[in-house]
Amino acid sequence: MSAEPLTLEQACEMLSMAFNEPLAGIEPGRTRESILGWDSMGALMLIAELDDRFGVELTADDSRKMASIADVLQYLRSRQLLRE
Amino acid sequence: MSLSRIGGFRIAGVATCVPAAIASNADLGSRYGEVEVRKVVAMAGVRERRVADEGVTASDLCTEAAADLLDRLGWARDSITGLIFVTQSPDYFLPSGSCVIHHKLGLSDQCAAFDLGLGCSGYPYGLYLAACMLKGGGQQRILLLHGETPSKFSTPDDHATTLLFSDAGSATALETSATAPDSFFALHTDGAGAEQLIIRGGAFRDRHPQDPRHQYLQMDGAAIFNFTVKRVPALIHDTLNFAGLAAGDIDSFLFHQSNRFIMKHIAHKCGLPEARVPLILEHFGNSGGPSVPLVLTQSLAQSLAAHTGDRLRVMMLGYGVGLSWGAALMELDREMLVMHRDYSGAPAAAMVPPATAPQAAHPGTAANA
Repeated sequence: MSAEPLTLEQACEMLSMAFNEPLAGIEPGRTRESILGWDSMGALMLIAELDDRFGVELTADDSRKMASIADVLQYLRSRQLLRE
Repeated sequence: MSLSRIGGFRIAGVATCVPAAIASNADLGSRYGEVEVRKVVAMAGVRERRVADEGVTASDLCTEAAADLLDRLGWARDSITGLIFVTQSPDYFLPSGSCVIHHKLGLSDQCAAFDLGLGCSGYPYGLYLAACMLKGGGQQRILLLHGETPSKFSTPDDHATTLLFSDAGSATALETSATAPDSFFALHTDGAGAEQLIIRGGAFRDRHPQDPRHQYLQMDGAAIFNFTVKRVPALIHDTLNFAGLAAGDIDSFLFHQSNRFIMKHIAHKCGLPEARVPLILEHFGNSGGPSVPLVLTQSLAQSLAAHTGDRLRVMMLGYGVGLSWGAALMELDREMLVMHRDYSGAPAAAMVPPATAPQAAHPGTAANA
């Protein structure tokens, strides 16, 4: 388990893997609806990634509130998991 | 935290019974979409499920398992002093399913029989109850039956549960023993999560629900996932600590077969060797709590082959609906009987052991009838 915050590039790679979306498509402006792999499975993958990497619990409620990549990045910032 | 160390009892045998009908998830691509089915199969790990016919219930599966087990052990029906039926798929609201099964098995009226209304955590809880009864005195032989028909919880509209759930019944025969090593139990509850896995209608809170979906299971997948990854590693750690053991001392971790992705995540998080975490989801789906005795009967022969001692040390883990979770850490005799069959529908009193399957005569080996 890594305690080091992610760079923006690393965060996007993590989301690319979780949502099975090409890295080029992971941009702050992308909405949840526009990413095919960001469904209930993708949401579970993200929850698992944050648990595995940081021991952080992304609650079901917080997950449901995320409507875009920007929202995910903001969540990471709020938990001091994003290094900018 | 509820931690108990209990001795003076042993498991003499475990039998499992599943419906003969096999439903293949690959056949449901036209209903739910090929891509969607592939995704669920890839994550959950379920390719096939066992589905009970209309009119066949969890108590039927358990009764057949129990009759088979009693006959193979040579236990007289009137020697059974206790019957515990663990289920959340009862035949009726009343009477208790254990009473119905009691009659079908022809048990004595000196037998104490009752139901235990737990699901995914039901097996460690049931073992704990049986152990307490045997240790407490006045009991000599207990049948612990654990059965579910989760396929009947799912509406065809919900592919996430339809593609996951499978049916199974089990019977575990326990008896007093002066020589068996102590067992360790850890039991927990968090009722705040009660609505994360719920069938809202049909019972007395809402007997005739207006919303037809309330007759079926509603599951908050993300919340259940978080519950599992938060609580189960701590359960494993605390139980090992209580028993004065390390993960490497456990020969097999018998998990409730909930979801392959979740199980692998937890095993990785806890540093459990893959070879010691058997998975049977591919062909048996998620049958709820009975998946624990089912993974035992399906994997024990392989575990014993990799082990040289007289006893196999296992940790049995149940977690889910309630929210409720528990662990039972036990040493199983190499000579313990294990059996497995497809449901035949034969009346319990008329059941005879299968004519073939010579492996069935060897203790400690799964028998496929």
